[in-house]
Amino acid sequence: MNIAVCIKRVPETAEAAVNIDSSEKHIIPDQLVFDINEADNYALEEALLLREKTEGDITLFTVGSKESDEVIKMGLAKGATRGVRITPENLDNLDAYAVAKLLAEQVKEGNFDLILTGCISSDVGNSQVGVTLAELLGIPHATLVIKMGIEDGFATVQRELEGGLLEELKIKLPALFTIQTGINEPRYASILGIKRAAQKELRVIENITAEGMKAEVVKMYYPPVGKMAEILEGGVEEVSGKLCEILKGKGLL
Amino acid sequence: MNDILFGCIQCGRCTGGCPVSVRSALNIRKLIYRSLIKIKNKSKDLGIWECTTCSTCSIRCPKGVDVVDYIIDLRSDEIERGKVQPQVRDTLESVFKFGNPWGRIREKRADWLEGNGVRILQPGDKTRFLYFVGCTPCYDTRTQEIARAMVRVLKTASCDFAILGIQETCCGNEVKRMGEVGLFEMLVEENTKLFKKFDIGTFFTTSPHCFNTFKNEYIDLDFVIEHYTTLINRFIKEGRIEPRGKFEKRVVFHDPCFLGKQNDIYEEPRELLRSVPGIELFEFERSRERSLCCEGGGGRMWVETESDEERLAVTRVKDAAVLEVDVIATACPFCLLTLEDAVKTSNLEDSIKVMDIVEILDEALGLKDEEERVPEYQNTRSSDSKQSQ
Ligand code: SF4
Ligand code: SF4
Repeated sequence: MNIAVCIKRVPETAEAAVNIDSSEKHIIPDQLVFDINEADNYALEEALLLREKTEGDITLFTVGSKESDEVIKMGLAKGATRGVRITPENLDNLDAYAVAKLLAEQVKEGNFDLILTGCISSDVGNSQVGVTLAELLGIPHATLVIKMGIEDGFATVQRELEGGLLEELKIKLPALFTIQTGINEPRYASILGIKRAAQKELRVIENITAEGMKAEVVKMYYPPVGKMAEILEGGVEEVSGKLCEILKGKGLL
Repeated sequence: MNDILFGCIQCGRCTGGCPVSVRSALNIRKLIYRSLIKIKNKSKDLGIWECTTCSTCSIRCPKGVDVVDYIIDLRSDEIERGKVQPQVRDTLESVFKFGNPWGRIREKRADWLEGNGVRILQPGDKTRFLYFVGCTPCYDTRTQEIARAMVRVLKTASCDFAILGIQETCCGNEVKRMGEVGLFEMLVEENTKLFKKFDIGTFFTTSPHCFNTFKNEYIDLDFVIEHYTTLINRFIKEGRIEPRGKFEKRVVFHDPCFLGKQNDIYEEPRELLRSVPGIELFEFERSRERSLCCEGGGGRMWVETESDEERLAVTRVKDAAVLEVDVIATACPFCLLTLEDAVKTSNLEDSIKVMDIVEILDEALGLKDEEERVPEYQNTRSSDSKQSQ
C-alpha cells in the first residue's frame, strides 16, 4: 500500500507573543519556535502504524520554505520513505486552494492508495487543504477521522460528529482522510534518527509559480480589546478565592 | 553494549541496594543476566523506566560494573525506536524546541527574577562567578524561590556574579539519562559554544544534576565548576557571608543522589547548615552513601511510575516525622519538589516544611523581609554587580 501524508511546518504559539509585520499580512517569525502541525503529526503516525501491518511506501509532501525540511526530516526519521517539498516563488501569498493545487499536481503522479492530512492547521486553521485536494484528485474523502482500518481495498473510518455522535463509513480506496488529533499516540523522533534521515530522498520542487488563488489576506490584526475581561490581582490564594466567588455568583459552582 | 557487563558475577549487591527494586518490576541483576545470556531486554515489564539513575547499584558493585550506563543504553534503544511514554516524548521535544523540559518558551526563562537586579552576561563579558540557574528554578513557581534566595544571599557576599538570562539552555543531565544521547550531544555542543562567548571564573549551579553533567560529562569547559553548597560554604568560612540571625528549628538533611553518591559532596551542605545559628541538625538513619533516593532523577520527574507501592519520597518524609524535625533540608530542586509533594500526600503539611539550604540561609539572614521592607535594597547591596536589565 502506497500512502501519501501532507504535513506543514507551523509556529508554536501557545505561550509566545505573536507579532504582525509592517505589511500587516504576515506574522514575524523571528522569535517563534516551529514544529510539525499537530494534526499532521497524528496523520503521519497513522500512516506509520498502517505500514507496520502492510508493505508499502510513505511519501511526505509539504508546501513551504526551505525550513520545512526540518519537519520532513523528522517524518523520515520516524520511518517515512521519502519527502517532497514544494516551494513556489509566491509562497507568501498562497491560499488553501493554491496549496491544494500544488499538492495535487505532485500527488497525482504517485499512484497512492491512501492520502492522509491533518484535519486542521494550527496556524491559519482553514481545514480546506485536505478536502480541496481530494476534489482536485477526484477521489472520495472523509474529514475528522478518529479511527481507521483498511481491508480489501476499502477503508472503514469513524468520524466524530457534533454532540458526541460517531459516524462509521466504508470508503473505496483510493481515498483521502483528514485526521483528527488523539487518533493515536505519535512516536518520538530521536536526534540521531533525524541526522540519519538526511540520507533519505528529499525532492525539492522550486522555480514554479502557484496560480488560481481565490482568497487573499487583506489584513492581519489583533481583535479590539474588549471590556468583558476582568483581571484578578493578587497571590494564588487570593486570586483563586476571588475566582470562586465570581463563579459562585454566576451560579456556575 | 554488553562489554560493560562482562565483569558481573551476579552477586546481586546492585539489586540489594536499589531503592526502586522494592516498589517496581526493576531488577537490575536480572536485566544484566538476561543481557549476558542474550535475551533481549526491551519490554516495559522489566521496569527500565523506573530507574532514577541514583547510581547506588554502581557504587555497591564489587566488580565496578557501570550499571547505570547499561540502563541508559536500554533506554536509548527505546528512544531510537521512538515508542516511549508520551510524557517522555513531550519532555524531550520540549528540550529540543525550547531548551527546557517544561514546555515553556525561552522568552520567559528569566521571569523568576521579578525585577531583581542581576547582571545578565552579554557576549564578550567577564564575570568572576556565573550562576547557572537551571530549568526547574527558572520556570517552576516553587523552586523559583530558591533562585531568588540565591541571588539575595550572593549579594550579601558582595561578589561579582552574573546569570545567562534567557540565553541559558538545559544542561542535558536528565536528557542523557532518559537515553536521548543525540540530543544530549547537541546540548553539550551548543552550551559549550555559548560559554565560550564569555570569560567565566567560577561556574556554579542550583541543581546537583546540572552540576554533575557540566563537571563530569562536558569535556571542553575551561572554568571551575561547583555546586552552590561548596561555594557558599566557602564564602561563609572566608567570612564573606556572615550567617547572622537565627533559624531555631530541628532540621534533617536529605542528601541529593547527584550531590552525594555521584559527586562525593557530603560535608559541605552539612557544614553550611551547622553554620546557621539556631539549627539543630539531625541525620536520617539512611544518609550519605546510603541515602534514600527521592525518585526525582533519571528523567523520573517526567516518567509515570507503573507501581502503586509507596513512593520513596513518602517513606523519606515519614522517616523525618519520626525524627520529629520541623524542616527537611535539601540542596536540589527535584528533591525539593518530590519531598514537598510527599509531605502534602502524607498530610504532614502542618508539621514539616521542605526547604533548600539556601532558603534556610536566606531566612536566617532575614533577607527576604529586608527586601520587602526596603525596595531599593538591591541597589544598596549589590555593590559590584552592575544592573543591566
Ligand atoms: S553488583 Fe555488580 S557484580 Fe554484582 S550482580 Fe550487580 S552488576 Fe553484577
Ligand atoms: S541507578 Fe538506582 S534506581 Fe537505577 S538500578 Fe541503580 S540503584 Fe536502582
